[in-house]
Amino acid sequence: MEQKRKSLLEKYNIPLSHLDFGYVKNCGNAREMEKIVNILRSGEEGFYPDLTRCAEDKLKELKPNSQLFRYEEPIQRSEFLDRKELKPIYDWTHDIKSKDSTLNEMKEDIRTLKANLPPMRTPSKIDTDKSATDADTAKPMPNPSVPTAKATKSSENRIKSTDYNKWDKYDPDVEILRMDLDEERAKEEAEQKNAKNVAPPKKAVDKTDENERLKERLMSRLEQLSKLERDHLAEKHRLRGNEYFKSKEYKSAILEYSQAIIYDPENASRSYNNRAISHLKVKNYLAAISDCEACLEIEPDNIKALLRLADANYGQGRRRESHDVYQRVLQLDPSNACALKSLEELHKQLGEIAPANATRLVIEELPPEVKPKPKANPKASPKVVEPKATKPTKDYDLAELVKPNRMVKNKILNASDALVGKESIKQKQGPIQELTDADSSPSMLRMPLANKRIDNNKILIEEL
Amino acid sequence: MDKPQMIEHLHESVSYTVYDTKWIPLSAKFVVLGSKANSQGVLDIFELNEDKLVKIKSIDKKVAFKCGTFGAASLRNRHMAIGDFEGRLQVLDLEHPDLAVYNVKAHKGIINCIDAIGGTQVDCGAPEIVTGSRDGAVKVWDIRQGQAPVVDISPPPQMGDGINKCGTRDCWAVAFGNTFNSEERVVAAGYDNGDLKLFDLRSLAVRWETTLKNGICGLEFDRRDIPMNKLGVTTLEGGLLVYDLRTQHATKGFSYVEERNAGRSVGTNGVISGPKATVWTVRHLPQNRDLFLTGGGTGSIRLWQYEYPDKRVIDDTDGSKL
Repeated sequence: MEQKRKSLLEKYNIPLSHLDFGYVKNCGNAREMEKIVNILRSGEEGFYPDLTRCAEDKLKELKPNSQLFRYEEPIQRSEFLDRKELKPIYDWTHDIKSKDSTLNEMKEDIRTLKANLPPMRTPSKIDTDKSATDADTAKPMPNPSVPTAKATKSSENRIKSTDYNKWDKYDPDVEILRMDLDEERAKEEAEQKNAKNVAPPKKAVDKTDENERLKERLMSRLEQLSKLERDHLAEKHRLRGNEYFKSKEYKSAILEYSQAIIYDPENASRSYNNRAISHLKVKNYLAAISDCEACLEIEPDNIKALLRLADANYGQGRRRESHDVYQRVLQLDPSNACALKSLEELHKQLGEIAPANATRLVIEELPPEVKPKPKANPKASPKVVEPKATKPTKDYDLAELVKPNRMVKNKILNASDALVGKESIKQKQGPIQELTDADSSPSMLRMPLANKRIDNNKILIEEL
Repeated sequence: MDKPQMIEHLHESVSYTVYDTKWIPLSAKFVVLGSKANSQGVLDIFELNEDKLVKIKSIDKKVAFKCGTFGAASLRNRHMAIGDFEGRLQVLDLEHPDLAVYNVKAHKGIINCIDAIGGTQVDCGAPEIVTGSRDGAVKVWDIRQGQAPVVDISPPPQMGDGINKCGTRDCWAVAFGNTFNSEERVVAAGYDNGDLKLFDLRSLAVRWETTLKNGICGLEFDRRDIPMNKLGVTTLEGGLLVYDLRTQHATKGFSYVEERNAGRSVGTNGVISGPKATVWTVRHLPQNRDLFLTGGGTGSIRLWQYEYPDKRVIDDTDGSKL
């Protein structure tokens, strides 16, 4: 006993005076604290419950995940949970049982599946000890299936050196050609295999092609699988995608989600949704938008999908759409913090949009010409052309008053183009239009659509 | 509550030694393999009913079972591959257990460990079974092949001084991994002397090897159907290592974290400070590859979380049954 106590104190090389409230409170060294706790817990210096607790608290502060805080706990019985918490387990049991029985029924038609199992490995050996020589012996057959096939073929075709008749018929050119063809075919096969299998690295080169092929292959497989198996596989791929996503391998995640979607297109909303966020992460906004839309088609009120759609639109530079989508989110969930925050941000960038009583006043106080103009637009659509087309040059000062004039020019010209399509104007404005294409397209849409036209036009100008 | 808690759902006592248990894929049933006192093999199938466990089938065989797996079974047939004490590998249809689907005398000694792959995965190569045995060999089987293994990884024949048998290794753990396409495949094998070897089945070579201080009891890749990510290794004397297989140093090999007290039992007042015990097994959570369980020799189950840059241990254990 004596020796042991000595050893602990000595082992840690801590003077006895350190086992003291004052010292413990001021100690900043986690390792030293651990040692002190160890000594106190061992009881070799006597039991000081308060001091021990104090030291433990201090250690928790310094190093919250110290090994010393690992306790072994007795296992809880299921009575510990109440009925409600057990319900998911019971539900799962029922669910899985029905799956099980359907699987059992399908047992008979295994044959079809067996047909397209991957080929068998050719028997081989690995010597454990001579790893150096091992590498040499292994090299001749790095890809077991291809070389052996070749070997058997060549042995069949081989002509004995004494068989002169055959040698007479032997045409080296034809043989060489044949060998070349064989080689090419083998290469092609290998390439196909590679393309199928080594998807991620190849993807960059011919992504669409790769996806097509993947799809085709899966489709051919799909026909043989039952709904149950498909669901299972889809779920598996989706979860794998989630895992990839978590570890930030977005490209692999996208691939997994795509497979999940192919397997189970009816219930693919979650996969679409997750693929959308993966696309967002790799800044592929257009793909993200289309995925969100696909998800929303299945589940129109999916808030997450809406938020992602808004995000993607924003990333793509379509702020107006983004704004509309956020509005829709707020319709569904008025207190959605994310939407509120983003809307605020958008307002800052675009100017006030939504209820905007204040801004309306502001506009009314601005030069009176502003109002009549937008009013005029909707009233007489055929006539609009002239005032609009001429407006930028005429009312240059007015536009300046409102906001930077460059954009105003564009919008109105675009609108006029949309309405009439005067070729001469178009040609003139061609380059400008191209430059601000992203902005112009929504405005074109909006002009004819606007219900509350006056407001809308006001907003337009204001926003610019 | 910030800590996860483990709750025992059901409890059933059996009258034999349990060596292995496996869930039957897509069902609420699991298989228990074991050995009776008279060293007969026993295979029980239990089914989970709401709040009780029902034994639906019990099969007795002459030779005790050691290990089994469903890894090579497709969802439709769900055949179980079983290794027994006499080195026989059989694949059983659990509906008709009397006649094995495949039966081969695989090893000279007991089959310690088994793993299989390729059953349900799509585009992940052929379904294969790997066994590790007391005779030191690791063999990969394809049941279409017949009576010979497709890959045979045997130790060199004994350097016959005949007096002591230290020449032979004893393989205690095997695991498949890295099968993310139809060609890549890796087998990890752990031996009684602490050797850990990684065999590449595509190039048929030893990919990497190292030697740990203690014999290796359990091995598992965190996911076997993705490019190698992590490998959990458990050893005698309470060792737990997690290798990060994405960061390989030219000479030092893969980086790893080690936890020497993983098997340590409870000492005074619930603090883990008792003697070191074997960690028998490591199993990763199917839902989250960074969480895994270890089963220790003191009957404890411990739940760990791996954190990528540096590791931290969340939790803890239970003192439970066997």
